[in-house]
Amino acid sequence: MILDVTAIDTYYGETQALFGVSLSVDAGEVVALLGPNGAGKTTTLRSILGLTRPRRGAIRFDGADVSRKPTHDIARMGVGWVPDDRRICPTLTVARNLSIALKRTRFRPWSMKEVFGIFSPLEYLVEREAENLSGGEMQMVAIARALLGSPGLVLFDEPSQGLAPKIVQDVLAIIRRLKDEGLSVIIVEQNAETALSVADRVYVLDRGTVAWSGLAAALRDDAGKRRDLLGA
Amino acid sequence: MDFLLYLLPHLLNGVALGLLFALIALGFMLIIGVMEVINLAHGSLFALGAYFALSLMTPDGGLKLGIAQLLFDLPIGWRYVIVLILAPIGVAVVGMGLEVCLRRTYGKDPLYGLLLTFGAALVLEELIRLTWGPTERFIPMPPSITGAVFIGDLIYSKYRFFASGFAILMIGLLWLFLEKTPYGALIKAGAHDSEMVRALGVNLTRLRLFVFGFGTALAAIAGIVMAPIWGVRPHVGVDAVVPAFVIIVLGGVGSFWGAVIAGLLVGMVVGLTGAYATDWSLIAMYILLILVVTFRARGLLGKKSVLEL
Amino acid sequence: MLVAFAIFGTLPFWISEIGLYPYLGAEVLIFCIYALGYNVLLGYGGLPSFGHGAYFGIGAYAFGLAQFNLSSSLWLCLVAAILAAAFFGAIVSLFISHRRGIYFALMTIAFGQMFFFIASKWTSVTKGEDGLLNILRLPADFGFAAYPIQRNIPFYWFVFGCFVVTIIVLWRVVNSPFGKVVQAIKQNEARTAFLGYNVVLYKAAVFTLSCAVAGFAGALFAMAQGGAFVQVMNLQWSGVVVLMVLIGGGFVSFWGPVLGVVLYFVARDLLGVYTDTWQLWFGLLFMLVVMFKPEGLAGIWQGIVYRKQKPRSSASLHLLVMLRGR
Repeated sequence: MILDVTAIDTYYGETQALFGVSLSVDAGEVVALLGPNGAGKTTTLRSILGLTRPRRGAIRFDGADVSRKPTHDIARMGVGWVPDDRRICPTLTVARNLSIALKRTRFRPWSMKEVFGIFSPLEYLVEREAENLSGGEMQMVAIARALLGSPGLVLFDEPSQGLAPKIVQDVLAIIRRLKDEGLSVIIVEQNAETALSVADRVYVLDRGTVAWSGLAAALRDDAGKRRDLLGA
Repeated sequence: MDFLLYLLPHLLNGVALGLLFALIALGFMLIIGVMEVINLAHGSLFALGAYFALSLMTPDGGLKLGIAQLLFDLPIGWRYVIVLILAPIGVAVVGMGLEVCLRRTYGKDPLYGLLLTFGAALVLEELIRLTWGPTERFIPMPPSITGAVFIGDLIYSKYRFFASGFAILMIGLLWLFLEKTPYGALIKAGAHDSEMVRALGVNLTRLRLFVFGFGTALAAIAGIVMAPIWGVRPHVGVDAVVPAFVIIVLGGVGSFWGAVIAGLLVGMVVGLTGAYATDWSLIAMYILLILVVTFRARGLLGKKSVLEL
Repeated sequence: MLVAFAIFGTLPFWISEIGLYPYLGAEVLIFCIYALGYNVLLGYGGLPSFGHGAYFGIGAYAFGLAQFNLSSSLWLCLVAAILAAAFFGAIVSLFISHRRGIYFALMTIAFGQMFFFIASKWTSVTKGEDGLLNILRLPADFGFAAYPIQRNIPFYWFVFGCFVVTIIVLWRVVNSPFGKVVQAIKQNEARTAFLGYNVVLYKAAVFTLSCAVAGFAGALFAMAQGGAFVQVMNLQWSGVVVLMVLIGGGFVSFWGPVLGVVLYFVARDLLGVYTDTWQLWFGLLFMLVVMFKPEGLAGIWQGIVYRKQKPRSSASLHLLVMLRGR
């Protein structure tokens, strides 16, 4: 298991958001984190990243205990993040937004050329100021940025949000490509269908706890179960 | 017509002052951007720059180290250039020390950070007073930049031109640094979104330390260049923070050229009031602060809520 | 701490024993008055005023001017001083009461510097750098008897009396509903406003009050020194009261400022004998206190004595909510 989250309790101030959440991801696996709004999906990602550190429980990444590590160390170990609000610096060009993300980890590096190969429009956008990008373009930059950091695990938070269906398919294709390269992915989605089309395993969160976990195939094929768990 | 000509040297003064104020403000702004700290001691570090320069330019500054003699023996032109590099580095070190002290107040009620930098300002002023004495000091300048220059029928101070030119150069270099270098990109990104930058693997603590040192070094450079214009006295510190604050409120936190333009405006006001009565130019700044805060500072920028506290 | 009363109440009897002098006692008490008034603003209200020396100075000048131009009644002159300081404080509060934090602080600095400047320049009235001299310690005329307070020991008793009065007034204010609201403002201004309180008015009121007390102290100081000097209005002196109040523990205790003032004078008169750098050390101590123990000396004392002391501030908002019946 490249990532092992064991019974974490995460708080926002004095409010508890996660109650004993456990999950694990293997190398080359795509794991989906599903559930309604406020279930704690983003909080889980933030806990893994060390942005909102869990008060109890443990997180291990790539063989090391990262429960108390600062975010920048966790990132340097090879955890990449594509946040739901993209978070591209608007006053920088695309090129500079990407350049600050370049780093080496023990995982496979991605060159600018490769990244442009995956996202061909990016080459033309390189000198564009980030604030002048469309939603889809920003998403591309955010994913490219995560790749340039040589990740072993990429956390996608609501990657399909606000994007045209064609672009969503592109994003899913990239996720499949990462899987083929042996990288791991956690995809957080409100839109279960999107996530299920690409995931191997699934965790369903509900009000801060894991309500169900299992193979994605089980949920894909069982509409009834899907409805029970996700109301969709 | 005569009146305008009379005003011209004061306008030029205003420009020189304004550009230097802008430099202080830009350093002040960088610090706010990356760490949301209003450094009340920024002005004291401005003053410290001038005092460090004093000690490095002449043995009268009290420096008794043997190696310093090497410096004193250099021709004054070279000495000045070296001092313009060394003194700000010294101040940067002090600035970074202050940042380390401030760390204890991060995350707490911002009132503590405010009190701490206020205390630091007082401590620095006292330190300066004890080390260099309370009376006004003078930094020897290379003759190539001092003296008078004649344009038409009027006499202008050569130094003001030097000060303006130098400030323009520094502002330009700063702009290049922020816009064209990877570190500049890091600082801008860090100012915009510190969480994201951490998630990209950047050690924010180290970044903040650097920016604090860098920002205070800018103040120090301004302090050295402004020394002959404002005088080198321990109390100068407080008077230097006020224009910086007025400038960022006027120009908008985070706006580079906003700060420059606002700086020129503030400089003009100070320079022109100086035309009527030199004592009043300082007070003009305080009046300007009161006016600006009363009328302009309203819920400034969602992100920079630190200014609202 | 009635201990304080005991100590200060008997001071003239033992002060010379320990190698000091009654005038120092008066000085200490004067600054205690100044600091206690200031603490209502900073410690209770969380409002950082870094230009308070101005009102101290205004009080001093007003007392002197009243004495020369108005009347030789001690009480009238004192009232004049208090009113003058309160008046200017009220004007300033018009500009700053909707602000907090850094804006508030810088505005107070700006106004402080302006008053300092005016005082320095308006030499016809204030005599500038030389100071307004020949201010007398007017006799305390209670109607049935007039006590001359010219000499240091009687003067000390008079100041002590003022100190007691100040404490009674401030204690009542701080523990009144008004005081509770002020503390709530410190804790969370937005929420207090939400509860329906006119926070701007409260801030203006507490600011003006602290200015009035500062003016009162200033007047006493003018009598002590025999003159009103412009230096007390500068930034260094405005800073000193901040240092005293914080180090003493004004954030957590009504009495904190007294501890801070005493420490300051101990440093000045004991340390100061050995070194010129004592002010520097006091400033560094301030920084250390802010960094490591913002509750100050009083906080340390409370930690020792009351192990389970509930922090003063959090109680206020709960109380307020109860008071408002929501």
